[in-house]
Amino acid sequence: MIYVTDGSFEGILTAVFEAYSNKEEPDTITLGSDYQLSLGTEIREIATDAEKSDRVWRGIQSRISEKCLEDLYRAYLSEHHQAGLYIYRYVRLGLKLGRKVEGYLQHPDVQAIHDLSRRVASEVHLFLGLLRFRRLKNGIFYACYEPDSNITQLIAGHFAARLSDQPWIIHDKKRDVLALYNGVEVVFATGLPPIAEEACDEEYEALWKQYFKAIAIESRRNPKLQRSFMPARYWKNLAEKQL
Amino acid sequence: MNLLDKLQILADSAKYDVSCSSSGSNRSNRPGGIGNASLPGICHSWSDDGRCISLLKLLFTNVCIYDCKYCVNRSSNDIRRASFTPDELCELTIQFYRRNYIEGLFLSSAVVKSPDYTMELMIRTLKKLRHEYRFNGYIHIKSIPGADMRLVYEAGLLADRMSINIELPSAAGLKLLAPQKEPVAILKPMDFIRERIEESRELVLYKGSQSFVPAGQTTQLIVGATRDSDLKILHLSEHLYSRYQLKRVYYSAYVPVNEDENLPSVHTGPPLLREHRIYQADWLLRFYGFKAHELLDEGHPNFDAHLDPKCDWALRHLDQFPVEINKAPLEMLMRVPGIGHRMASRIVRARRVGPLTFEDLKRMRVVLKRARYFITCNGRYYGGVDLDAGLLYPLLADKADKKVMAGQISLFG
Ligand code: SF4
Repeated sequence: MIYVTDGSFEGILTAVFEAYSNKEEPDTITLGSDYQLSLGTEIREIATDAEKSDRVWRGIQSRISEKCLEDLYRAYLSEHHQAGLYIYRYVRLGLKLGRKVEGYLQHPDVQAIHDLSRRVASEVHLFLGLLRFRRLKNGIFYACYEPDSNITQLIAGHFAARLSDQPWIIHDKKRDVLALYNGVEVVFATGLPPIAEEACDEEYEALWKQYFKAIAIESRRNPKLQRSFMPARYWKNLAEKQL
Repeated sequence: MNLLDKLQILADSAKYDVSCSSSGSNRSNRPGGIGNASLPGICHSWSDDGRCISLLKLLFTNVCIYDCKYCVNRSSNDIRRASFTPDELCELTIQFYRRNYIEGLFLSSAVVKSPDYTMELMIRTLKKLRHEYRFNGYIHIKSIPGADMRLVYEAGLLADRMSINIELPSAAGLKLLAPQKEPVAILKPMDFIRERIEESRELVLYKGSQSFVPAGQTTQLIVGATRDSDLKILHLSEHLYSRYQLKRVYYSAYVPVNEDENLPSVHTGPPLLREHRIYQADWLLRFYGFKAHELLDEGHPNFDAHLDPKCDWALRHLDQFPVEINKAPLEMLMRVPGIGHRMASRIVRARRVGPLTFEDLKRMRVVLKRARYFITCNGRYYGGVDLDAGLLYPLLADKADKKVMAGQISLFG
């Protein structure tokens, strides 16, 4: 049985609810309608339902923990094709075991959520550092990046607190997800940024590149170590890594 | 001289200070201000040597009245000299920060005219940055040995972290290589800073008064410029952690920059492997409950190049092994080679739910390559060889040709 959701977190929680009330165990819970269909598999379309997903949400909150919700949400943002199923299995186990489930790492279902949540959390931490803003001619600071997971929501608050006196836009180019900050509040949107990407800010980028070069110790050169901290797939949006 | 050249010169001469950490402070932004400090610290890039770039690390000036033999900036070297103005430094910091290149500023300096004069220049810069430019991000300032305590205090009110580098691990080394510096000029301010930090912690609790160096103080030791053993260095670190309450001791493999009869030749490379071993041992002191005397002693004063310090220790204490994964206390699990403190606490949590088998450990991604020789699971031993130092050594040793991933072990520390 395949449960087909609309790809939202609420959709997945609704699927969890349905699995309980139908007393069946789905083989897959999809994130959206883009999935592989094999011959003979049954499909159940899940209509996202605020009340049902809310009940699951509150069930997790009261019978497992707040932290568990955070882990599940992060796992969801990983966009792993099995994330929906892992969430379902984790909740099932968690409702039996209570908050103990978080430490039950010898169980594959727990390990799966733990891994996805950690992967997302560490990419969030990485991009708090690796995101690069450029000052456009109109004074807006614009940052584009291409994260593995859908983390824009999770990093925007950090920049709103820190760079609170400058308007900025964070643009996930892979998903066309935007966070826009006007000096007061952050708004999330999808689509292309309402500004033209223009050549600008050469002066500070040149200084930054100069600094980047000067600070390395030649006799300690170690590209392998550098790559292990800062994977090469992220380099194209880093000024210091452009020639 | 243009800003690009200055930046090049004054970053180049600051790069031998290895600390770049931005951890230990937790400060929110103020209305109209720019920046905050994040407790665990944030790395913004990694340079071509694989070291984290978190702070904009610069010297105020590389003009120096001293002639320390190991240092590129010594007065007798014929190199390009430059100095920033306070405004140039503030502008660079703010503009880099707005683009998210950095967490803040690490300001150090050579000694121009006198320690007090230098310190005053640095303080003027920080004051400008905090008050005129309204910068709330992280600031690390290097205190200049020999500066007046009044200035040290003033600087500490503006900074998150302060450091005074000991550099040479023994008084004899200092005398030989930095004869113009007195050990007391280093230790006295360290003690002074420790006292002020403690005082301000107590005061902040009920008065909300200004905090002093909230992220603590650190220092740096150079490894390999003198003949000091690992034992000597580790004892010194232990002393610094307990007596001076240092947050971190950094180790810097000496990069020979000057030709001198008392120093390694400029044709030798930095002792990276040795530095790496000492970092590993430092972690064992800080997070694993080890004492320096357990790791090294007079009969064994240096780490084995092929074994990490924990393996080295375990092989000399085989009577304490194997330990039972399902019973051993956390402190003992952390002493098992290959099991880090994070993994040890995961094991403790997991075994509360049910007993762990060897397969479970694999599933939990415990790295068993080394650990397997030192543990049992429900009474069964999976090492496959006798617990004998002679037999285990070749199984645990790093291959001689393996290139070490020297450098910072921690991502953000
Ligand atoms: S005082 Fe500092 S900058 Fe000057 S020579 Fe000595 S170590 Fe170098």
